[in-house]
Amino acid sequence: MNVIETKKLTKYYGKSRGIIEVDINVEDGEIYGFIGPNGAGKSTTIRVLLSLIYATSGTATIFGKDVVKFGPEIKKEIGYLPGEVFYYDTMRVKDLLNYSASFYKKDCSKRIKELAGIMSLELDKRIDDLSYGNKKKVGIVLGLLHEPKLIILDEPTGGLDPLMQQTFFNLVREENKKGATVFLSSHILSEVQRLCDKVAIIKEGKIVKIEKMSDLAQSNYSKIKVESKAAIPEGYFDMAGVSGLKTENHSTTFMFKGDINSVTKKIAALDLVSLFVEEPDLEDIFLHYYQ
Amino acid sequence: MLNMYLHELKQYRRITMIWIVSLVTTAALYMALYPSFAPQLDAMKKILENYPKVLLDALGVGPNVFLSFAGFYSIIMAYMMLAMSIQAMNLGTGIVAKEEHSHTAEFLLAKPVNRTQVLTAKLLAALTILLITNAFFMAAMWAEINFLADILIAGKIFILMTLTLFIVQLFFLGLGFLVSVTAPKIRSVLSISLSTVFVFYVIGVFDSIIGSKAVRYITPFKFFDNQYIINNGSYEPAFLVVEAVFLAAAFTAAYYFYLKRDIRTT
Repeated sequence: MNVIETKKLTKYYGKSRGIIEVDINVEDGEIYGFIGPNGAGKSTTIRVLLSLIYATSGTATIFGKDVVKFGPEIKKEIGYLPGEVFYYDTMRVKDLLNYSASFYKKDCSKRIKELAGIMSLELDKRIDDLSYGNKKKVGIVLGLLHEPKLIILDEPTGGLDPLMQQTFFNLVREENKKGATVFLSSHILSEVQRLCDKVAIIKEGKIVKIEKMSDLAQSNYSKIKVESKAAIPEGYFDMAGVSGLKTENHSTTFMFKGDINSVTKKIAALDLVSLFVEEPDLEDIFLHYYQ
Repeated sequence: MLNMYLHELKQYRRITMIWIVSLVTTAALYMALYPSFAPQLDAMKKILENYPKVLLDALGVGPNVFLSFAGFYSIIMAYMMLAMSIQAMNLGTGIVAKEEHSHTAEFLLAKPVNRTQVLTAKLLAALTILLITNAFFMAAMWAEINFLADILIAGKIFILMTLTLFIVQLFFLGLGFLVSVTAPKIRSVLSISLSTVFVFYVIGVFDSIIGSKAVRYITPFKFFDNQYIINNGSYEPAFLVVEAVFLAAAFTAAYYFYLKRDIRTT
């Protein structure tokens, strides 16, 4: 069964573009990545799914039910972590958590304690005394306290330190093992790579590619930047697997795919000032995978 | 829905207490002046007769206003009405708009509730807050009336006059709800509610000067003529109808728009 299914889902804000004909299918038990640069339409898609905003055309269903018609019913089983977390400033953390729990007809007190422990959250503090990272932690607990079947995460790691990110990812994986489906939007490729089974790439409101993570990982490009003392002769890097070559003065950048040894040998022959081998960022992905 | 209702009451507890204390204190101080006025009523009346009628009308001071305590009380009511209208408008505009303003709409509407429930919980909470404010206010005024010597006012007239505050508050609550769901973006709830209330107040002042009856149907500040209440022991039905029609329209429209529109992020 598809947990999330959208068909030609389109949203315009007046005349400005939100998303255009987005088709995604998230299957039960998947961790589904939704990746794209800022303003690509990730949050718009999520907000339509939560019926915070209404689609201009197309349909969206969750658990096989229309998101607008059955909104309240569907949301019993959804945990949502918004991209930017804002809560009632004057409330204490535990009061906010209890208020949130009061919307679900089950006892969440045990789970709240558990999650607060894992995220090392101070329950007696007032929301407006919390740092952004700590507010994010509150958001994470809010999203998970009712043990939802579908977890929707919008840019979840912004503001969290690396250690907390790790804790959080473990938490998400655990929920996933228990049977929850996860829909995660992000503009950071590595975080999607670490977590997701499948990924949809969105650009300027349109889905450009949906791929299994394993397929995406196989086509492992490296981004290489070489700076040498002397000018690199033209055509020096003319070889299989090199693309997007750019030379500026003594520095050269290109994308490389294939046997890494062939290129390191070439580089070793140069008199170097510096060398960077990086994972390509999203921008590079768009430039090189999908042109 | 009960949880949202209680949540709103808690959120507004402090500000409502501040409103009640300020309103009651102001009105009580005003009223405490009456015993010192009372012995000089005749002198007061003569002074007032020398003022231009236009000025007196604009100030809301009728010709016989100081002759009775009821007349004096009606002046207090006029000022309280202005203040309490601001309270009601602020409440009506803020209680819905604050969710988007402080970005908590995403929290609330991702919960298993529909928007009708959200708006209804907010409406009931707002009504409760206004009822509590008025109950405290009326009780405090009645206590002071019984405490001060030489004051004579019929219980019925007192209740009718004091209750006009609540009815006018309802008008602005409805207007506030309507504004909060239709205005494209509300940056400052206070400036919107202050300016709206003052516009209606100024319209009312002009009515006194022009003497036009039509204006009375536009501004709630003129729905109730205290002299009429004192003389007849009742409200003028026409204006109750105007109010009822307005409220029905305002809340219907508020629900309609709130259910239909997109929730804004910023």
